[in-house]
Parts: sequence; structure tokens; C-alpha cells
Amino acid sequence: ENLLGVAPQDEEYYKGLSSSGTIICKDGSKTFTTTQLNDDFCDCSDGTDEPGTSACPSGKFYCRNAGHTPLSIFSSRVNDGICDCCDGSDEYNGKIKCKNTCWEAGKVARDRLTKKIATFKEGVIIRKHEVEQAKILAAKDEAELSRLKNEENILKGLVQQLKERKEQIEKAQEKERIQKEKEEKQKKEAEEATVKEQKGEEIVNVQEQEYKESKSDDDARIHNHPPSGQDPNKGAADPGVSLAHDDDDDDDDKDASVHNIEEHAEKNEESSKVAHEHDPSHGSGSKEEDASENAESSSREELGRAIGSRWTGKKAEQWQDEDAGTARNNDDNEYDETSDTAHEEEDSGYDTETEEDHQHHEEDDNEDQMDDVGGDEADDDSSEHKYESDDEMEDMEGTSPSWLEKIQQTVRDFLQAVNPFQTPVDTSESESVRKEYDDASGKLSKIQSRISSLTKKLGHDFGPEKEFYSLYGRCFEIKENKYVYKVCPFKEASQLEGHSTTHLGHWDKFEESYRIMLFSTGDKCWNGPYRSLTVRLRCGSKVEVSDIDEPSRCEARNW
Amino acid sequence: WKKEEFRNCNQTPFCKRARSRKPQHCKLIATDVIIGDGDLTAKLITPKEFQENPDEDSSGIASNPLILSLSVYENGILRMKIDEDASRNPPKKRFEVPDVILPEFESKKLWLQRYTKQVIDGDSADSFVVYLFDGYEAVLRSDPLEVFVREQSSGKRVLSFNSHGLFDFEQLRVKKEGDDWEERFRSHTDSRPYGPQSISFDMSFYGADFVYGIPEHATSLSLKPTKGPGIEESEPYRLFNLDVFEYLHESPFGLYGSIPFMLSHGRTRGTSGFFWLNAAEMQIDVLGSGWDAESSIMLPSDQNRIDTLWMSEAGIVDTFFFIGPKPKDVVKQYASVTGTSAMPQLFATGYHQCRWNYRDEEDVKNVDSKFDEYDIPYDVLWLDIEHTDGKRYFTWDKALFPNPEEMQKDLASRGRRMVTIVDPHIKRDENYHIHKEASKNGYYVKDASGKDYDGWCWPGSSSYIDMVNPDIRSWWADKFAYTQYVGSTPSLYIWNDMNEPSVFNGPERYGTVWTGDNTATWEQLRVSVPMILTLGLTGITFSGADVGGFFGNPDSELLVRWYQVAAYMPFFRGHAHHDTKRREPWLFGEHNTKLMRDAIRVRYTLLPYFYTLFREANVSGVPVTRPMWMEFPDDEATFNNDEAFMVGNGLLVQGVYTEHAKDVTVYLPKDHTWYDLRSGTAYKGGKTQKIEAADAIPVFQRSGTIIPRKDRFRRSTVQMENDPYTLVIAVDSSGEAEGELYIDDGKSYEFNKGAYIHRRFVFSNGTLTSVNLAAGTQFLSDCTIERIILLGHLSKPKSARIEPSNHAAEVELGPLQIQSKIRSSVLTIRKPNVRVSDDWTIKLL
Repeated sequence: ENLLGVAPQDEEYYKGLSSSGTIICKDGSKTFTTTQLNDDFCDCSDGTDEPGTSACPSGKFYCRNAGHTPLSIFSSRVNDGICDCCDGSDEYNGKIKCKNTCWEAGKVARDRLTKKIATFKEGVIIRKHEVEQAKILAAKDEAELSRLKNEENILKGLVQQLKERKEQIEKAQEKERIQKEKEEKQKKEAEEATVKEQKGEEIVNVQEQEYKESKSDDDARIHNHPPSGQDPNKGAADPGVSLAHDDDDDDDDKDASVHNIEEHAEKNEESSKVAHEHDPSHGSGSKEEDASENAESSSREELGRAIGSRWTGKKAEQWQDEDAGTARNNDDNEYDETSDTAHEEEDSGYDTETEEDHQHHEEDDNEDQMDDVGGDEADDDSSEHKYESDDEMEDMEGTSPSWLEKIQQTVRDFLQAVNPFQTPVDTSESESVRKEYDDASGKLSKIQSRISSLTKKLGHDFGPEKEFYSLYGRCFEIKENKYVYKVCPFKEASQLEGHSTTHLGHWDKFEESYRIMLFSTGDKCWNGPYRSLTVRLRCGSKVEVSDIDEPSRCEARNW
Repeated sequence: WKKEEFRNCNQTPFCKRARSRKPQHCKLIATDVIIGDGDLTAKLITPKEFQENPDEDSSGIASNPLILSLSVYENGILRMKIDEDASRNPPKKRFEVPDVILPEFESKKLWLQRYTKQVIDGDSADSFVVYLFDGYEAVLRSDPLEVFVREQSSGKRVLSFNSHGLFDFEQLRVKKEGDDWEERFRSHTDSRPYGPQSISFDMSFYGADFVYGIPEHATSLSLKPTKGPGIEESEPYRLFNLDVFEYLHESPFGLYGSIPFMLSHGRTRGTSGFFWLNAAEMQIDVLGSGWDAESSIMLPSDQNRIDTLWMSEAGIVDTFFFIGPKPKDVVKQYASVTGTSAMPQLFATGYHQCRWNYRDEEDVKNVDSKFDEYDIPYDVLWLDIEHTDGKRYFTWDKALFPNPEEMQKDLASRGRRMVTIVDPHIKRDENYHIHKEASKNGYYVKDASGKDYDGWCWPGSSSYIDMVNPDIRSWWADKFAYTQYVGSTPSLYIWNDMNEPSVFNGPERYGTVWTGDNTATWEQLRVSVPMILTLGLTGITFSGADVGGFFGNPDSELLVRWYQVAAYMPFFRGHAHHDTKRREPWLFGEHNTKLMRDAIRVRYTLLPYFYTLFREANVSGVPVTRPMWMEFPDDEATFNNDEAFMVGNGLLVQGVYTEHAKDVTVYLPKDHTWYDLRSGTAYKGGKTQKIEAADAIPVFQRSGTIIPRKDRFRRSTVQMENDPYTLVIAVDSSGEAEGELYIDDGKSYEFNKGAYIHRRFVFSNGTLTSVNLAAGTQFLSDCTIERIILLGHLSKPKSARIEPSNHAAEVELGPLQIQSKIRSSVLTIRKPNVRVSDDWTIKLL
């Protein structure tokens, strides 16, 4: 028979044709005869009778590709003028001549595979090492934690004792002061009575002023806290980053990536639904409204920007330096708590603040451009560094029992030496007690902060064998065009452009059996969901971010 | 959408004035009626008793006579022009729209030789009657002034002008001390150096149940009344070209294009049409019945009449009355004035994938390869503004697209094209070659002070090429040459973006049109159907809505339903705003991928039919997608139906516009049997049927038609070129059917020299005959017909005899759609393998 396009494992199925002359389509829809096999007319809707032609839309064509990997292609590829099989067997109607490239292609594939195996082997060794290291490091962190907890207990007791002593001293001093004041008050009484009226007026004035100030403060707040959904895009997007080893894509990875995408799409769908519910007039951010309301008095250029911003979701002022690649970060430091607080407390108001920010950015941008001119070729695409320690324990790193003993001794000395009931109070003695109390409680709070950060660290899931332990506290960067993507496992991910930062997500969790790191709930996209980032992990010989992808501006995906 | 940014009628002085006029406002009468140069001309003057001052009226306007002329053209077209009297030296010639009327239209003018006089309704003056066409005549009534078309035998009016006396024509003036003609809206000021110059008049359509047309509005197919008793306060339909951000559905506000062409249709009289060639801002009221109750005018009331009020800010009266009487007659008459749609290249009728933006070459490669991975055909990948170097059109962002030619060649190796965007605004950047040349040569549009107009668009500060100047147009055209557009290859095509100001009558002669930046909602999916149908009625047949909706994120169900309807629209393109999530057809799970793939594949199988329809539109002006009433003008149930539509005369498509629909009701026009496209199930017409619609929207083939298909799936249209055809014959009650197939090379203009195949297939008495409609054809094709399917054929033949080759083909029961899961057994002629280019007959035995 004409078994063109039939896979070896299926040849058995067609045996019936030679014996009885008729067999049934695989889907059972009907039967067909030897003459109907590969006669370029679709009899079985599943394509059983046309394995070697394009007649059935849902059929598959098998090419042997001797020297390389066999391939099963859609029957739509048969005789379509494009060489899909490396052995050229899919193009046989004479319209095009396909060269047999299987041997060359096979060699490339084999070499790649060999290289990949080598990389994997290397990676396995590194992983083993990481696991061992993780055990040691974790043990060390746990030991430190238990030691610190012990110290905390002792120090707590000491601080309590010092506090009591300090309060006794202060009580005595207060008593002294009251006595002294009483005497002085009698002396000045007559003098004060003469200026009383004038002072009353002053109080009235102050109150008025305060009222005004608080009003302008409110205005500033309105500007500073636009409704959700307004944060127009910063010209950047959620990226995908791949924290991975410099290894080529392989088929397994591709499959995994597909899953990844689907999962992501669903997630974002949910979040965008939420966003729409909250903001029914989506697309009309408050900034735009401001702009359009003022349009009558705006110049044409301002008007143009305001209108243009509707399509782009950009704030009008962001247009300015777009082409120079310096789209400016916006001024709403949404996730910068200190800055928010500052805005609320300061009477200086929003406008001044904005102005300053702008100048600041412009200067920085200029600097950046100059730097680029000078040092472009030296740029590394990918780099790694530690993030700044957030535990402020540098001075405590060398803490030793001797330090603790010393403190304990000092406290004992004080308790014996100082007589709190002595009058007048010995000033130098009381200062010493106060200083010692401040020192000790300061140290206590540092120890407590360190305990808290260690507890937090040890509470993370570092993988079944703690193999990701060493990634804690480290950050990885990759440069892609004008953006630098920064990924800090167990912490956060961000996208930097000059001095502007787009927050891509907080550490969320591992997924897919520790093959994916998920950072979620980053900055909110204009008109859409929150940014997020997926980091796909691959085995290799180096820990680095190897590639980044940004499928849509507000969706994060990583390879 | 920001209501306050758009001028409403009350904020528009000419509209406010015109809308507040009462019937019989017009005091003009026609005098000095003569025939000259083949036209009937007259002077329109205000009689002395209506002139407060014989030389000047109360507002100081000199009342010079107006000149009216009537001309008659082939096939039932009356043209009426009214302008100022040039011999009185008006201060300026009023604007007449160039380039819209086909040059060859003048040759269709019928030279008038004489008129007859008649007294109408006891008028004090004569009326003048000229013969029009096929039993119709045109009448100029002198006093009161009225121009109408009527049936000669019955005297029934068809279309009439100024029957209600609402005509007003503001003449140009020289500014005098104290004249304040400036108009302001928001930050805009209009200086009006010659005073207000608006024109308004009433037009009546007789025997009309509904009126249609005057795009572009996101509203229903039949135009709802905007004024009249019991009608909700509404703006008139506005014709003013605007790129409207997040436009609303169900609104009379003007969108991207303006086509002042209206059609009426009614069961008794049929169809007529009216076109006002005027490009100024226009507002049109459709007046609800009874609006004129307080007026003393008595018009014939035995016919359904729809009155309309047309108001324009400037220009002249240059109008065309189309007498029909069939729907297709009117669109053909209209097309003879403004032209038919260009014949698209075959690939353009396939599926287009677009997004703002496919980011870089890798992204393009990835999206392209996913179509292959999921075996979804597509023909064109589009790049939006971000592909350029800082929105400098004709350039590439070097970091994102370092090798544009290689990228295009790679796509082309699989038969796919690329489209890049070019906008008409030019970045004012001294280092940008286009700007340098344009500013140096003075090619930019100027502002009032004579400097280059400096506007603001995507690139920032921008100027605009003066496209009205032919020399500058030709300079601009040169920029598209391969040598000048660096990085372009022969597989690159242009997205001529943001040309709204130029979309008026006639763009169909050059390109395709989309319905604008729509939104991902069910309502906008729904309104896309009447929008496309209206554009088709008014000449622009090659149009489509962004699949999925440009703004916002469609959920998977909405997206699937959108693909299912859009697959039957002439222009089929997925597109999305850059802040939306990716929405390519494979991102929504296996089942939804399959549904979207099925929708796109059905489109591809029907491309031979679509291409034939595009040719019909190219020749005649009859659109590819049609309102049902165009095919069934006697079936009143179709007149107001805009949720279903016809593709050609053979397919009826009913969309699904609601969530979670398992089935949908569809009205099937009477006197026909309708065959479900997937199952072959026959439904009787003349009633509303409930059809299962979980996995696909209902589509039916009308009895009496033959539809050509190509059932093999390929990556794109390019690989389908040599594939064999399937013919689907749905016989009518007398066992007959017919259909056509048009084929050419799909890419060149050789068809204009006769290089095409055009066949008519006729099935009658159990015999299918292929008749040549293209004498002397020079186009060769080896394509054969591999399968002929018969729906509704009563006998069960076993074989068929093919002549002249005198061979037999088996007849068996087979599936209607090969890949469909729906089981169907339809009569199938297996492998007749006749060539499409040959004459043959196939007789069932």
C-alpha cells in the first residue's frame, strides 16, 4: 500500500487494507478501501485515509527525518510549498524542491544536547553544593537566633532594672525643680500681669493661621491621592525575567512556558475584573479629567498632550522626553510610605514638591546620558549583588558574651553606688544611669530587630532541601534596552529606568514544584491589573538572569 | 468619552438656527426657467412682498438671487445644484468638494432637450417637468419652491426637496463695521471672514418605512427619529470626522468618517437614495411622524413618508436623487457617482493579527510561530507606532527592530505579510529627514499667521503634510518607495493611520476602513454589525471592527463570540490597546483556542466566496455584507433587523451578543429554505427559529444558491492557491440553484486587462453547468473541484456523468464540513476533478 506519511507505530493499523481491502477510520466514522488510501480525497473526518496528503484538515503527516528526529506535522503543511520536514518528504508534488538537511540539523541538535547534559551535570554539582551550604548557613542562622533570644532575655531584665533606677532619679529631680519654680514664680508675678491682654490677641491670630494652613493641606492631599486606576503607565511594562543559567531553550522548557502563560492570563483576568468594578469609568483617570477641565485655558500643546494621554494612558507631562528614552517616573511614590507621610504633614504642599522632583530627575537624566556616552561598551547585561542589609546589625556582628558581661557588671555597680534619695541629686551620676539605660535599650531593640529578620528569613520556604537558601539577600539584574530589571528573591522585583522605579511585585511564592518564582501585587497598571513578574528557573552553571520578556505592558512573564 | 468636549447642536450656531426654523420659512420662488447646456436652470428669488427692504433684508444681507440647476444622468439619477449667482460677483467662490465624483460620471449625463409645463395643486405658477428614467420624472415647482421626483403614471412622489419650506441659504458677505461673526467653542475660535454661510433644507422620502445610511455613528442600522412628538430629546446625527476616545454605542455623535448619503426603504415603493456632496460639518435630523402637525402644509399622506432636515455649515447645494427602486439599484446608482470599492489583494481578505504593539523582532517571531503551532491560519502581522524610532514614521527602532528586512523575509517565507503604520503627523525634529524636507520645501499645512502649523500628537510637537496639494502628495507617495523607506520589502504594506479628516465619500476606491477605537464590551460587539452594514450601504464595503475591542480586556467568551461574527465581516483584524492583556487566540485555554481557530478557518474556507463578492462590489458597488432587506426587500420583518446580516446573497449570519447563550433566535426570511452551515439541517423561512449556538454562531445557506469553498487548511492564503474547490449547492423548491466564482492572481491589476476567471454555476434538472462569464479570459488555473455537495436534492443518485470528458464520479453520503464534530450526511459528488477554468456539465444519474 501507499503508506506515505504513516508513523511506524501506526503501520500495523493499515495492515487490514492488504488483507481485506477495507478498514475502518480510526474514529469509527466510516470505512475506506485501498484505493481510497492517500487518494487526495478526505473520506475519514479524522484523516485516517489521508496520512500522506493535505486532503483532511485534522490529519497528521509523519516524516522519518533519518539522521535527525522524526516529526509529525499538520497535514495542512503537505505540499504547501514550504519545507517543513528536514528530509523534504512533505513536499513531493514538484512545485518546490526541498534539500535533505537532516544530517546537519541532527548534528546541531546532538551537539546542543551534549552541551546541555554537560551544563546539567555542572548544575547538579552546584545544586549539591548549595544544599550543603544551605545546611551550614541555616544552622548558623538558627544558632545565632537562639543565642540572640538568650541575650534578649538577659538584656530585658537589665533594661528593666535601669529603667526603675532612672525613674527614681527623675522623680527626685522633678521634686527639686517644682520647689525651685515655686520660688521664681512668686518673684515674677507682678510683671506677668501687665502683658496678659496682649498675649490673648496673639493666640487668636495663631488660630486663624492654623485654619488656613490645614485647608491648603487638604488641597494638597486631594492632588496627592488620586483615585485608583489613575497611575498612568510609566512607559514600561511588566517584564518577564528568567533567573536562569545560560542554557538554550529546550522542548521541555517550552511546554512549561505554555502552562505558565495560561495560568497568568487567568490571574490577570481576575484582577482586571476587580479593577473594572472599582472604576466603572475606566480609562478616564483623574489626571486626565483635570487636564480636560482646564482645557479652555490650556495651550494647544497642553491640550494635545491631554488628549493624546487618553490613548496612551500617560500623563501629559510624561510625553516630553519620550524619544530621548528618558520617560520620567511619575511623582506619586505610591509605595514609598515615608514620602506619603511627608506630603501629608508638610504645609509646603504638593506643587512645590513636584517641582523639586522634576528638577531632580532632569539632572539625573542628563547625567545618565553622559554616562552612557562614556561607558556603554563596558555595560554588563546581567549582574548580581547583595541588597543592603536591612537589619542594621553591623556593629553587633562581633557580639560576644564579654560584651554582655560588661554591661551586667556596670549595672550592678550603678545599683550599688547611686543613692536616689540623696538631695540634691548628683547630676553626673544620674546622667550615667540615663546613658546606660539608653545604650542598653538601644541594643535590646537592635537585637530584637535582628531576631525578627532572622525569624522572617527562616520562615521562608527555601525548597525541599533548602537549595535556594543562598539566594536570600541577593539581587540579580539584567539590562534590556533602556530598562534594568532587578530581581531580589524572597523580597521584590522592580524595573529601573534612570532613577525611576516601577515596582513589579512583592515576593509571593514558588510554583510548579519550585520551577517558578512568583512576584505579585506590584504597581497598579493604568486601566488594568496589578503588575506581576514570573521568574522561570532553569538548571545551569551560573545563577543569573538570562533573559527577560514583556508580553504586554501590564503583564509579567518570564522565560 | 467626554460629552462637554464636543459641540452639540445648541452650541453650534448654524444648527441651532436651522433647527428652530418653522415650516414655510422659505419664501423663494423659481423664475427664468430655461434649458441650457443640457440642464434645466432657474433663478431663485425672494418676491418683493417678502422683502422688508428690496436691497437689504433686516439683517443687512443682500438678497441676490440663487441659481438652481437640474441635470439627469443614466439609470435614474437626478442632480440638483444651488449656488450663489456668479455673475453678481459674490465676495468669494463657495467651496465645492473636489475629487469625489468620478471623472467618467459626466459622460453619463443625459442632455435635456425640453420640459413640459404643468400646474400642480392649483398653484399660481407653472411647474416644470423633465423626464428622468424608466417611468420617473423630475419636477421643479416654482411657487412654492419644491423639487421632487415622481412616478410618471401615478404621480406619486418618491423624493422631494423643500416640501416643508425649510430651505435656507446664507450668502457670503463683505464685512461691515460692527459685524461680529466670530464663533467660539472651548479654546477654538472661528473667524468667519465672510459671515455665516450655512445651508439647510428638508428632504422627504416617500413610501419609506425606514431610513438608513449617513455614517459614521455607533448606532442602529435603521435611523431612529431625532425630533418629533413623543421622541426623546436627541441631538441630530452629526457628520464631523473625529477620532473619538472610547466612543459610545447608541449615540448620534459623529465618528471617524462622514458620508452624507441616506437611503430609504419601504415595502410598497422600494428604495430611494439621497446624497449631498458637501464636506462641511453637517447635522441631520430624522423627523418623527407628526412633527409637522402644527404646520398648514398638506402633503400626500397615502404613502409612508419620512421627513429629514439637513443642515450644513458651508459649501453649496450639490445633491443627487437616486430613484432605485430596488435596494441594489440605489447602491449601484450611488456607486456610479462616487465609485466602487477597490479590488483587494487576496491576502487582505484573510485574517489580520494586530496589537499596539508587537514589541520587537523576537515578539513577532514568537507570535508568528504560535499561529503555526496551533495550526491557525493568518495572513498579516501588523506593527503599530512603537516600531518606529520615536514615532518618526518610515523609520525603525534600531534596538527593537534591528533587521526589519530579514524579519519580513522570514514572514514572507511562510506566505505572510507585514503591515507597518504611517501617520500623517510629522515629528518636528531637525534630524528627521521627512521633517527636514517638508519644512524646507514648505510642504506643511500653515496656521492663520502663515507659519507651519505646530500641533501635538504621538511624537510630540508635530506638523502636517498638506495633502490637498497634488505636488506634495506625489512627494509623499515617493516616501513609500523601497529605496526611500529603508527596511521595507515587497511583503510590507502600509497602515495609513489617522486619516479621519479625509474619510468622506470615495475612500473605498483606495483602501479599507475600520470602525475605530471600540471597547471590549458586548454592546460594542453588537453595534459593530450595524456600523459595518451602514458603511457597506454607503459604498465602503471593505470595513471591519477591531476583534475583541480595542480598549479593555474581553473575557474569553466575548472574544470567542467576536471572532465568530467578525469572521464574516469584510475586514477581519484582531487589535488591542497597549495596556490590555495579550489576547492572541491561543491564550484562553484549549477549548477557546479551538473555537477561535474554527471561526478563522471557516473564514478561510469561504474565501473563494468572499473574493467573488469583493469582485461584485468592485464592479457594481453592491456590498459584500448586506442588510437582510437588501436581499429580501419585500420581507418587512427584515427591514429593522440589524443583528443578522447577509454575506452576498447566499449566507445569513446571526451573531451572539449576550453572555452564556446556549442558543439564539434568528429570523429567517420567507419564501426560502435555509440550510445550517455546519449540520446541513434545513429550516423553513418566514419565521423566527431558535438555534443551538454554544460552540458557533448560526450561519445558513439560502436555498437556490451555490457557494464555492476551499476546504483544505493552510497557513495562509498563499498556500491555498492551488488547492481544489468544494461547491455547495442548496437547491430551491423547484430543484434549482446558481452561484458564481471569480478567480484572479490575487495580487496584481492584471484582472483589469482580463486576466481572470469568472464562472457561473447553474444547477437545474439534476445537471450542474459551468458557464463562462469572462469572454477571452487570459488567466490560467489548474485548480479543480474535488467535491460537490448537494443540499435539499430529493433523489438519491449513485453516480454522476461528467461531460465533455465523459467520465463518471461516485455519489455518496458525506460530511458537510469535514472537520466538524457535528455528524451530517449530505449528498456528495466525490472527486469530479473538473477544472474551474473549463466549461463542463455534471449530470446526476
